[in-house]
Amino acid sequence: MSLCAALLLVWGCAGTKEVSRNEAPPPGPRLSIAVFPVENLSGIAAPVKPIREMIIGQLKRKGFNVLEDEALEKFLVRNRIRYTGGVDALTARVLKHETGVEAVFMASLELFSDAVPPKFALTARLVSTGENPSVLWMDGVGLAGDDSPGILALGLIEDSEKLVTKALDTLTWSCADRVYYNTERAEASKLQGKFKPRISYRSPGLEPGRRPRVAVVPLFNRSGRKYGGEIMVLNLMRALKSAGFDVVESGIVRSAFLNLRIIMEDGISLGEASALFGVVNVDFVLGGRVLDYEDYEGASGTARAGFSVQLISRSSQKVVWSSLSLNNGDDKVYFFDWGRVNTTHAMASQMAQFVGDMMVK
Amino acid sequence: MKRIFAFTGCVLFLALVFVSGCTTSSRDVYHDEKMDFGAVQNVAVMPLANFTRDSLAADRVRDVFTNKLLSTGALYVVPVGEVAKGIAKAEIAVPTAPSPEEVVKLGSAIKVQAVIIGALREYGEVRSGTAAANVISVNLQMLETQTGRVVWSGSSTKGGITVSDRLFGGGGQPMDYVTEKALNDLIDQLFK
Repeated sequence: MSLCAALLLVWGCAGTKEVSRNEAPPPGPRLSIAVFPVENLSGIAAPVKPIREMIIGQLKRKGFNVLEDEALEKFLVRNRIRYTGGVDALTARVLKHETGVEAVFMASLELFSDAVPPKFALTARLVSTGENPSVLWMDGVGLAGDDSPGILALGLIEDSEKLVTKALDTLTWSCADRVYYNTERAEASKLQGKFKPRISYRSPGLEPGRRPRVAVVPLFNRSGRKYGGEIMVLNLMRALKSAGFDVVESGIVRSAFLNLRIIMEDGISLGEASALFGVVNVDFVLGGRVLDYEDYEGASGTARAGFSVQLISRSSQKVVWSSLSLNNGDDKVYFFDWGRVNTTHAMASQMAQFVGDMMVK
Repeated sequence: MKRIFAFTGCVLFLALVFVSGCTTSSRDVYHDEKMDFGAVQNVAVMPLANFTRDSLAADRVRDVFTNKLLSTGALYVVPVGEVAKGIAKAEIAVPTAPSPEEVVKLGSAIKVQAVIIGALREYGEVRSGTAAANVISVNLQMLETQTGRVVWSGSSTKGGITVSDRLFGGGGQPMDYVTEKALNDLIDQLFK
């Protein structure tokens, strides 16, 4: 009896098991995509080329037809495209016309650390090409080697390549599930209550309606983290999409900013928001500030994330939602690191998800 | 016997003085009695003057205060981007300490009935011997935009090293918690 109990305990504590899935061909026709170079938002030199090759390999195995590198390179050179962190309307149209791909896969590397335990965080999205490009799928993953160490550290991952493979497998499956089976990753919906906004304001006039269209404008980065604003934009885009908003591709928003010559001084003003409403045809504009975005290397440290957002409505020309979220990775952790979050990505994505969910409720 | 009572009384008195000396809250509030605060619907929170070592602290406190004030539902707080545009439009040289004329100009530029200015005097960890704790000290003023005069002024200090911190250690409360407490106190003072 006691042996059985001990076995159950060990089995239960042995960390997260990798569930191998059958990589059978998709049920319908294969989607033809281009995989853009990985955008490095980690702030350090990171192996983005090998990561891109791994993504391409995984996507091919999951039933995607990926445009050859040579053809993509020629397209980027011919059209003088240097920014590959997003796609504007013109690029999407020309890409479809010249290469025939139906969507673009864009990945942004947020964290890469190969110090033991390794850490890795990446956000990716699939944007349709042709007329009216839209975000078809968006997901992110943030993993640390010691997320599930289990008993006697049997579940500890010390090899960064193994961790990256695991993360990319999760991410590419999420993409394939959305595109071919129209399902969402189950873990993405698990939220911990401690990541709710600390302060929130919701105007009585906020009625998002059915699938409201929203543009997330660049967030002001007041954190010490390089690219903290860009990373948080991706987290918020993903959260709003998951909450039911029709999120405008960030490349289109960037292009509108350049065309309208908007230079924000301390955040978006009502005049700038009004100009954006018309150009990108949205119901809401979301802006804000990143206050904290701190990851740590190695085994000891605490992840920190903090941001404030404001949602401006097209109909009222006023702020209809405002919130402040502040969390540490060890919030409400009392025993044996139970419930501890080791990457800021894993925490910030939940914090952003709460914001998105509370806006539509 | 009388001596024992006198000694105990002295000890109690000294302990009371000591404890009150360590109290981390202070209140210096001014309300203009002639001001109709009900007429104020839209306000702008200006950048706070920062007298601390942390260069981003004032921005952080301003953000928390803006959200707190908006979440009360009693006032509409103009977005910070709009305030920045207004500051540029009204050509305010020192946004942390605008003159009454500049306040009037700003009021008409961004259509607000009042402007809130303030200063962050303390923010971060304080140490005394082996004890350490987080402390915040902030003061705010509300200026009405018809004449540019001060109609409300309040200040709050929260956190710091308490008797229990000295005796048992512990490091005090987290900075975010202390900040929220101080700003809640200021909002209470404003609406009183």
